[in-house]
Amino acid sequence: MFVVIAGGGRTGSQLGRLLIQQNHEIRIIDNRKDILSSVHHELPTEVIIEGDPTHPDVLEQAGIQHADVLAACTTRDEVNLILAYFARSQYNVPRTISRVNNPRNAWLFNELFSVDVALNQAEILASLIQEEMSLGDMMTLLKLRRGNYSLVEEKIVEGAPGIGIAIKDLGLPESCVIAAIIRNGEVMLPRGITAFKADDEVLAIVDPQGAKQLSDLLMSPVRNNNHNSHNNHNGH
Amino acid sequence: MKVIIVGCGRFGSELAYRLYLAKHEVAVVDHVKDAFNNLPADFNGRLIEGDALNQDVLHRAGIEKADALAAVSNDDSLNIAVAHIANSFYKLKRVVARNYDPQVRPVFERFGIQTVSSSIWGAQRLEELISHPEIRPVLSAGNGEVEVYELFMPSTCAGIKLKELFNIPECIVVAVTRAGNAQFPDGDFILAEDDLVHVSATFSGIEEVRRRLNARAEV
Repeated sequence: MFVVIAGGGRTGSQLGRLLIQQNHEIRIIDNRKDILSSVHHELPTEVIIEGDPTHPDVLEQAGIQHADVLAACTTRDEVNLILAYFARSQYNVPRTISRVNNPRNAWLFNELFSVDVALNQAEILASLIQEEMSLGDMMTLLKLRRGNYSLVEEKIVEGAPGIGIAIKDLGLPESCVIAAIIRNGEVMLPRGITAFKADDEVLAIVDPQGAKQLSDLLMSPVRNNNHNSHNNHNGH
Repeated sequence: MKVIIVGCGRFGSELAYRLYLAKHEVAVVDHVKDAFNNLPADFNGRLIEGDALNQDVLHRAGIEKADALAAVSNDDSLNIAVAHIANSFYKLKRVVARNYDPQVRPVFERFGIQTVSSSIWGAQRLEELISHPEIRPVLSAGNGEVEVYELFMPSTCAGIKLKELFNIPECIVVAVTRAGNAQFPDGDFILAEDDLVHVSATFSGIEEVRRRLNARAEV
């Protein structure tokens, strides 16, 4: 694929390096002298275009006419917005990705400016942190891009309520599928009759609700008690 | 009219003040508080400090009930983005923007935004004043693509028919004024010295008028 990246800061240059490693063709545009000098250390000279990415002649010099993807990664939201729109309407670029710097501007990163994918770093981080806090030891390995599902991992502690019960009898919701169990360093694919043991690592595909129920089953009894007493407090 | 001005530099404050004097209800948005110092002391519109991409800020400026918005900061990307939001999201009747860097002008055009390129426009005016003081633009349409010019006929043009001088593509004579009386002439009208001629022309149209006037002066 041919990807034009606007903005050579940390995000843009890291993306550029990654794409080059995967044998994609890229051009990266920036006009800030200090940024350019660091980009020149990291990326081959021929992929670097010096100029203002909002100048059409600079975009054309980068080959935007043939780009499969525009990735607008500058530190300015207004630039990332108008670049997506301009790339689509002027050059028919099939896919546009724009970085959201200020989460308050996220409401604009959609079809209004022809943004196909909005990358909201602050929001991704905040929601990851929130999940980590609310789901105990469950770790999110991968967010599946479509829909609301994630691949999560959790280690089963001694005394968890789900131990010793066949998976089919755990009463897991439809939005929670146990994908694999790592036991004594070996990966095993669970069947309905498989039962969890302490120290198993469980990999599951879940939505937020499924994650909550799974977490309750695998949670240590002590924490579970705290959790309950806390709820009781609220009840009174 | 309820008008929102985004950008309160020299340009924005001048525009805001003019609209205020013309009895419009004006709200000015700028992310730098000190920018409001550019406004005259007797300006009595609303001042909103904040980022114009922020929906709260736009709502505080009253965009949901505004009639017009002018995005006139010295940042082209911001002007385009705000004008596009006003056009496509809030469907304002009148949205105009200022283009600062001439190289970004094609982007304004692609967004379909009514644009004034302040630097191009100013340079064009000054160039005309320097090179051709006898031909004076009196009205600009759009961004100066078509203008109405006034020019006094020199003695070298006396006695010739209007159509000999002005049969030019992209140039139409709209009036000839002789001794204070304007008329709507046809091509056979005979010109006299000191006739004041108004023409509507594009840049290339007026260039051709200049070329012909110069050619006659040299004969």
